[in-house]
Amino acid sequence: MILSGWEAVFFWVFSIAAILAGLLTVMARNAVHSALFLISTLLSVAALFLLLGAEFIAGVQILVYVGGVMVLFLFVIMLVNVGAEERGATNIFNNSRQVAAGLIFCFLLVFGLLYAVGAGPQGLEERDKKKGGEAIAEQRLAQQQALATAATGTSKITTATELVGGSLYRYASLPFEIASVLLLVAIIGSVMLARTLKQEAAVDDVPPEVLKEEIQRELELAEVIENVREVSPDKKK
Amino acid sequence: MTNLFTPALLFLLQESGGGRLTLAWDKVQHPDLSKFLVIGALLFIIGVAGVLTRRNIIVIFMSVELILNAANLNFIAFSRYLQDTGNPNALAGQVFTVFIIVVAAAEAAIGLGIVIALYRNKETIWMDEIDLLKW
Repeated sequence: MILSGWEAVFFWVFSIAAILAGLLTVMARNAVHSALFLISTLLSVAALFLLLGAEFIAGVQILVYVGGVMVLFLFVIMLVNVGAEERGATNIFNNSRQVAAGLIFCFLLVFGLLYAVGAGPQGLEERDKKKGGEAIAEQRLAQQQALATAATGTSKITTATELVGGSLYRYASLPFEIASVLLLVAIIGSVMLARTLKQEAAVDDVPPEVLKEEIQRELELAEVIENVREVSPDKKK
Repeated sequence: MTNLFTPALLFLLQESGGGRLTLAWDKVQHPDLSKFLVIGALLFIIGVAGVLTRRNIIVIFMSVELILNAANLNFIAFSRYLQDTGNPNALAGQVFTVFIIVVAAAEAAIGLGIVIALYRNKETIWMDEIDLLKW
């Protein structure tokens, strides 16, 4: 698997864009900016998927992540109040000792992973040379040349998506069904989590006086918790 | 454009640096599996750094999405590599990626539901203030 020519140029453009936008995602002060940088990271990674010949996955990435998940993130950012963070009144990182420990851990991970990545693929390359990998690559190139040309005349029609669908339903049909159940559970769970006490009461047909008592009890509980926190000696604030 | 620039750069490199640099430039021109793995590793580590250092719980969720995407990139890179070596099960990587995206979507929905419930009860989205289990 070796890219060349324009593919190599686009590889470097999109990979550097992905890394930079990833860094800015973590470092941006405003959560909305973070979300926008994460969107550009996801788009760059989708472009890398295209370079790797995974058109279906690139499309799913853009539709599901950028179109669905990130919109959800933006909605939640708008729902919760992040004004203090935007104005620069508070620190966006943990206290410095925690940050130092986390960064040391990350640098250790960088060195370990880069060492492993440097050593592993060389071994794979040597193994492929023994097995005659170049002949297989040439055969694959010839197969691609033999495919029909698309309507625009600039690219070939590939059967990669068809093959992905085939193996998804042939070898992974049970996990596919389980994934649909998982999504159903996620829908029900998020609806249950996000509704208020009033909405719950309305659904369960609770009479208003019971609801009032319930709210009163919760407020008292919150007060007790607050008192305990004030009395406790190792309070950090 | 590359065809225009390459001979000039190659000439410069040969004049100045000798064989080592031309070899490095050749590797830059022909990214292989290991380059994709390096990009995946860097994205993963950026995500880990975000999870470990940020206070905003929503940004921590975004960093988790970054980590999942790094894993997806590795899966797709290995899938392409196995396709090129003629492995019949090469598309397993892409199938895996579909499932990772499904799980990430479910996780985001549940996680953000928890964030909203938490914000309604505690009036904060900062992780270091959510320490009810720590006293």
